[in-house]
Amino acid sequence: MNQAILKALLSHYWRHPWQALFLLLGLTAGVGLWSAVQIINHHAEQSYAQADSLLGVQASYWIRHRSEQGIAQADYIKLRRAGFRQIFPVIEGQVSTPDGQPVSIIATDLLALRQSLSASLSASLPDNMFDQTFDGVENWLRLVQKPYRAWVPQQLADELGLIKGDQLRLRDGRQLPPALIQAQAQQGRRIFMDISAAFTLFDTDQFTYITVGQLTPKQFQRLRSFLPDTLALVENQQQLDLSQLTQSLHTHLSAMSLLSFAVGLFIVFNAVRFSLWHRRETMMNLRLMGVGVKKLIAAILFETLIWSLIGTLSGMICGLTIGHWLLPGLSQSLFNLYGATIDAVITLKFETLLLAWGITLVGLLWALTWPMYLQLKHDVLDANSPTLRYQAERASRRQLAFLALPLIITAFFLFHTMETAVEGFILLGLLLFAAAWLLPTLLAFGLRLAQACVPKQRLIGRWMVSDGWSQMPAFRSAMMALLLAMTANLGVGTLVDSFRSAFIGWLDVRQSADIYVRSSGSKIEQLLQAEQVAGETSSWLQDSHRRIGVTTRWQDQPTLVRGADTRAPDSLMFPLAQWLGDTPDDALSLWRNHSNAILANEQLHYLGGLQLGQTIQLDTDQGAVDYRVVGFFYDYGNPKFQFYLSSEEVAKRWQYHYSRGTALWLKPDPINNDTKSWQQVKKSLLAAGINRADWISQDDIRTLSVNIFERTFAITAAMNSLTLMVAAIALLASLLAIMQERLPEFAQWRALGVNTREQFLIICCPLLIFVVTAWLLAIPLGAVLSWLLIHKLNIVSFGWSMPMLWNMTPAWQLGGLVLVIVIATLLLSLLQLRRRLPDALAELGELS
Amino acid sequence: MLSIKNLRKSFGQPGGEVCVLDSISFEMQSASSVALLGESGSGKSTLLHLIAGLDKAQSGDIEFAGQRLSTLSESALARMRRHQVSLVFQQFHLISTLSVLDNIRFQAALCQRFDDAFETQLIDRLGLSSLLKKTPHQLSRGQQQRVAIARALLHKPELVLADEPTGNLDEQSSLEVMAVFTDLVKSAGSSLLMVTHSKEMATFMHRSVLLHNGRLTMVE
Repeated sequence: MNQAILKALLSHYWRHPWQALFLLLGLTAGVGLWSAVQIINHHAEQSYAQADSLLGVQASYWIRHRSEQGIAQADYIKLRRAGFRQIFPVIEGQVSTPDGQPVSIIATDLLALRQSLSASLSASLPDNMFDQTFDGVENWLRLVQKPYRAWVPQQLADELGLIKGDQLRLRDGRQLPPALIQAQAQQGRRIFMDISAAFTLFDTDQFTYITVGQLTPKQFQRLRSFLPDTLALVENQQQLDLSQLTQSLHTHLSAMSLLSFAVGLFIVFNAVRFSLWHRRETMMNLRLMGVGVKKLIAAILFETLIWSLIGTLSGMICGLTIGHWLLPGLSQSLFNLYGATIDAVITLKFETLLLAWGITLVGLLWALTWPMYLQLKHDVLDANSPTLRYQAERASRRQLAFLALPLIITAFFLFHTMETAVEGFILLGLLLFAAAWLLPTLLAFGLRLAQACVPKQRLIGRWMVSDGWSQMPAFRSAMMALLLAMTANLGVGTLVDSFRSAFIGWLDVRQSADIYVRSSGSKIEQLLQAEQVAGETSSWLQDSHRRIGVTTRWQDQPTLVRGADTRAPDSLMFPLAQWLGDTPDDALSLWRNHSNAILANEQLHYLGGLQLGQTIQLDTDQGAVDYRVVGFFYDYGNPKFQFYLSSEEVAKRWQYHYSRGTALWLKPDPINNDTKSWQQVKKSLLAAGINRADWISQDDIRTLSVNIFERTFAITAAMNSLTLMVAAIALLASLLAIMQERLPEFAQWRALGVNTREQFLIICCPLLIFVVTAWLLAIPLGAVLSWLLIHKLNIVSFGWSMPMLWNMTPAWQLGGLVLVIVIATLLLSLLQLRRRLPDALAELGELS
Repeated sequence: MLSIKNLRKSFGQPGGEVCVLDSISFEMQSASSVALLGESGSGKSTLLHLIAGLDKAQSGDIEFAGQRLSTLSESALARMRRHQVSLVFQQFHLISTLSVLDNIRFQAALCQRFDDAFETQLIDRLGLSSLLKKTPHQLSRGQQQRVAIARALLHKPELVLADEPTGNLDEQSSLEVMAVFTDLVKSAGSSLLMVTHSKEMATFMHRSVLLHNGRLTMVE
């Protein structure tokens, strides 16, 4: 390759730095968003591999109470005295801030942990390693001595507005120990503290579970034989479970990042097209001077290689930044959905860098191929002809529309055969790209329609509309990018809105009780018995529902079998998605009256393959028992399988069932009938010895649930906004390119007497026609996308369904937002035009 | 109608300031025609643009139809070009998305000044009748130039500024177009100031002036 050819071609970017900037911006935005998701996905996978490691201790097993009642301190002390040093008690719990934000607490015996780690690691690690983990002995001592310390990760501290020494006040008035701001691996968004601080905070004397470190087979056997009957040794399968459970979420994120990459690629496509268009004269001259097409192609490919390297580097820097920004959202989503925690610090892997460079290069080559082909296929002198350019634009429009057809046909077949989330996303990709490729034809249709609407005698009006034909090549790619961004926004927005509506409706039914008491054991039972004996004369109790449950595995997946009072108010309104019989009540009646009738969540139907009326076998303490599935109930957001039987049946079949809390419905206050008898219930609960931390009101649980929901989908909203932002950049790039390319023409019009207002309208009118056409297409396409996401992908990925909630408000809001973006980009580009027009007017002589 | 007094225009160049118009003074009456001759780079086009209000001089005055251009705002200058002045360029600059007929009517539509009889006369004289429904890229260069001339004259401007309007045509076509052009300018009652290299083209005008070394001299 000749250096002179390369110099001649690359010198273009010195004279047109804007083009270089937009090319770089497109690459950076596309690669940045894609790599950000890749980095955080990979990071999350790494975190799952260390799931449930606590301050350096990897849990191989957990010791849990068979009835999930908590483990007595005496049992733990016995184990330690028996020589088991690799066991650590844990208290886990959740509290909420005054504004309803959920905060998770995890506590362990730091003293035991320090001794154990120092002993086991001293051979390979420096003595002060543990103190380094705790940032020095002093800090460590503060953690285990009164008033203790709450070890808050930096990110959470920022969100809660905590600084070192602050005591976080909770919704119920309690306070956490003074904050120590420092994050550790696997801490995620949880607050660490010493077990003694947690005893005080949760007013308990029991552990939630005991973590067991690495054991030899001999130690394992010894531990198993040493455990009392009430305690079970449960193998840690969390890494496997988390990987399986979170796979769909990561696939969703990857798909969104690929969409962002595609949108970014449209900017690149536009920038490449304009850089080639502007260099047509240089290329024509080079060809006239005897430079062969092959040499020109080689030079441009070399240029592409350079751009791909620059784009990858800047994209990765941007990706790391966006990754850091998205990580709290992802971390929150993963924790809320799956209880998974991921580290706060992300790292870049060489493989990701290599992959990013690969897709950048492929993307650039794809963006380059067609314009370069058009540029070089014509004879030397023809390459500059506007006629050929016009014809090429028309031909390219038709070719794209023609190419969209096989995509639609393939999508149609895939729709009927898809079984996995990946296939579902391929289907969405095919549909979106088919729509994007059909868009130029629809834009042409929109222009023709607008032209037909302008009366024949309104020549200037017709001119303003018809100028769209000149603007179309520049706007084509930007409109495709905008269409994809708008469709994704509407589709995903509708999914989230539908989910929110279904979830809140579901909460209303499933959590209709006024108070939920977490406390298990005899205290609440005694209280309820006393109130039930009082019956009508009870001062506050209207009704109650004590639920029990057992954890088991079904098809090797974590599964919960719940026992419910079939005549409790919430059981009577159980929201069923599918049922045996004519109405949901028929199925609920079967469930109420037959001990072998079982309700299953939708996840068991869609992911587990269960069918209505099917008989299943569950392993109980009394051996395998047959149950008949009489209905599938909605169980939004639950990644696990879940069955419902009557409480009596669960209690009969499983010896070590545990309490899942008690729901209480209150009587109206005797003094003020509009309110419930809160004062009476509080007094009664406290008098019965139930701690304030052990009950939660319907309002609080609802606020907590809705907050968790909103935070879970924060990452989706962030990705949507970023994609729309990239589309806005594509639009601005196109407008600036038009200004640059057509500046002499605009100057010519000004010479003919066209004023500023008309100049503005002529740029604005076609753009508005294009944007409105793209928006009109995005509405049905967004509806189709959300329908597919809700009725196909959500079911295939997560295993639950919901009604689709479609209304035009988000479409209008999006239209308004896009209009603001269009006006902002128009103003920016018109400012640029205003700045450059005087020079262009003065240059008219040189041009003519 | 057009009066230029002590007009001076220079451009900053790497080697220093280059003065292209040095104290130019010039007068033009209504319905007259003037050929502006000069070598390449002598400043002919610059003078034309200053008169059209497309560029600004360092000093001196241009007065057109009773208005001093230096006192007019950008929008007032655009209004002047729209109603009173027409420009014809070597590159035609037709609007590619409009038909030939729409291109002809374009400037008349801008200033809302139509004359159906004159439109028919222009179309017939310029031989455009059979091309009205075509688009500019379907025309030859000669045909495009005729459309540009029709567009410049239909609204009967007071002054037509033409920058080598036949520069893209062969000699025979140039002579034919020029004969029709000057005749139609006369029919429109407009004045014509035309930049040209060709002395032959200059013979179509009432008088000729030569721009040389920034100075303007009459050509006998």
